[in-house]
Amino acid sequence: MSFAQDVRRLVRENIREYGMFIALFVIMGYFSIATDGLFISSRNIVNLVNQTGYIAVLAVGMTLVIVIRHIDLSVGFLAGFLGAVAAIGMVQWGLPWYLSILLVLGLGMLAGLLTSFQVAELGIPAFVATLAGWLGYRGALQLATRATGTIIIPSDPFNAIGNGFIPDFVPDIGILPEVHKTTLLLGLLGILFFVLGEINSRRRLLNQGFEVLSAPMFILKLAFISALIGGIAWILAGYRGLSWTAVIILVVVLVYHFITTKTVLGRHIYAVGGNPEAAELSGIRVKKITHIVFASMGMLAGLSGILYASRLRSATTTAGNLFELDAIAAAFVGGVSAAGGVGRVAGSLIGALIMTSLTSGMNLMQIDISYQYIARALVLAIAVIFDVTTRRRAR
Amino acid sequence: MNQTANSVPVVEMRNIKKSFGAVQALRGVDLALYHNEVLGLMGDNAAGKSTLMKVLSGAYIPDEGEILIEGKPVHFSNPMDARRKGIEMVYQDYALANNLDVSANVFMGREVVRLKLGPIGVLDYGYMERETRNLLSRLRIDIPSVRQKVERLSGGQRQAVAIARATAFDAKVIIMDEPTAALSVAAIDQVLDLVKQLKAQGASIIIISHRLEDIFRVSDRMIVLRHGRKVCDTPIEGDLHDFRERVVAYMIGARDDYATRTAA
Repeated sequence: MSFAQDVRRLVRENIREYGMFIALFVIMGYFSIATDGLFISSRNIVNLVNQTGYIAVLAVGMTLVIVIRHIDLSVGFLAGFLGAVAAIGMVQWGLPWYLSILLVLGLGMLAGLLTSFQVAELGIPAFVATLAGWLGYRGALQLATRATGTIIIPSDPFNAIGNGFIPDFVPDIGILPEVHKTTLLLGLLGILFFVLGEINSRRRLLNQGFEVLSAPMFILKLAFISALIGGIAWILAGYRGLSWTAVIILVVVLVYHFITTKTVLGRHIYAVGGNPEAAELSGIRVKKITHIVFASMGMLAGLSGILYASRLRSATTTAGNLFELDAIAAAFVGGVSAAGGVGRVAGSLIGALIMTSLTSGMNLMQIDISYQYIARALVLAIAVIFDVTTRRRAR
Repeated sequence: MNQTANSVPVVEMRNIKKSFGAVQALRGVDLALYHNEVLGLMGDNAAGKSTLMKVLSGAYIPDEGEILIEGKPVHFSNPMDARRKGIEMVYQDYALANNLDVSANVFMGREVVRLKLGPIGVLDYGYMERETRNLLSRLRIDIPSVRQKVERLSGGQRQAVAIARATAFDAKVIIMDEPTAALSVAAIDQVLDLVKQLKAQGASIIIISHRLEDIFRVSDRMIVLRHGRKVCDTPIEGDLHDFRERVVAYMIGARDDYATRTAA
């Protein structure tokens, strides 16, 4: 392969990989200017992250579902219903908040297995099986909240999940008095881990004779991502620091990123997505993978319901409406391929951030809701077109 | 016949019968593959060659008959059983995951783990990539990087990866189903060279093909099936033209004296 070809391929791959980062930057930059800095203010960004939470965790689970060539339409109302169950658990059954959470996560898994049983064992298309789920959970949510209407959640620790912030452990020593210093420290740690990890893996690749990004390109990438982490930490620290929702998003994304990229299970999920017949012939149990992926999706729907109920401090009759479509859109914007086998959980997080940024920015600009839907439709369409064309050219 | 005739075959199939409803796909076929032998398997469409190989690779369970590996009877209830006993199948459509890289495909379903965290196994990328590179260079397969996604490879390269995968785990027998069917002329040469390379390294191979010249170039012996019966079992000899004439007569049923000749 000639040098010129090498460079061209590198650019192509980087465009695919970093396209959505660039899109997020452009969108955030535009709204920041258009709202005279209101959009990028600490308070708004903290809000934006908290709003992204319940979609982001769904998008992470949806990524894997789409990777194995299925879809889950039921997760929106499942999240709403499970949020109501969490509220009822605390209010009517007198469960402590943590038991209520565990119960809901467990029920979510069961709901996922109910779907995967139909999909894997009975061969029902996921679209149909989860459409039935969509209807069923919607009815269940209305039943659960019929007697009382909105259920107010009195538990402070539970409500802190969607509204609270991590405490600042660093004592006030005079410098940066208004800033959440623990958040800054965590940001610095994040940058440190990221840079060291990247340098390590680059060194290992070089030792084994693999091709890597050229040195300037590599440094550019490090600088870009470090600036991103640092910038986010700085902005969050300017308000009240890292919210518990942000912590949960980070933990979920890190765990799922680890599983999908470093483990046998992750490898099998992508193998099933790439070629189910080949995976089965290689001894990978496709049904088992299907069960695991849908169970994880259900559990994350439970988590999404908890995040949403906690944020509203209550369970409402319409909770979860359209969450599933937002999550699917976030996954596609984040680079998941509808053909299966392709997509990263970190990408879906960025996709979710892009979609919530659009909503938040347009709300601040007081754009009519009708135009908002159309703008989001355009972004989704552009993302998918971009994905398809770059993929085709890469062949 | 040849010097291996008296030794125990690596694989022996005896009187294999298999029906699908009213259709008798295999009507009592015998097949023996000797150590370090390349056996060609020919026949018209629906002659039963793929069915026979699916029986051997565990995808079909025969109605009757037995399979012996190195003289010992075995029973396969699925492809993994057969694989564990050292029978590897290379499928016509490669059976690769195009979204994964070369190394991931070679180790698909047999990933090597660096450490176990409960049920979660952490992949040993370094080991698998090193092994894949060694494997490719041992088989003289020219692929720039084991991290290349399979979707970026040519047809010949994909077939080479599929074959390499079959040989990666000390297979006793490698079955190739139409390995050259979907390939360009140049790629066919590549794959046939690879088969010769494998034979030189001691592998025992069965090749299904409808291209007689491919089988002629790389095989030691050839079996012809017709309507679920073995109608010819002959060493590869003479020149291609005469050989073709003789074999085609058996394939189309113009000549059918195998059963009577062996009975005599």
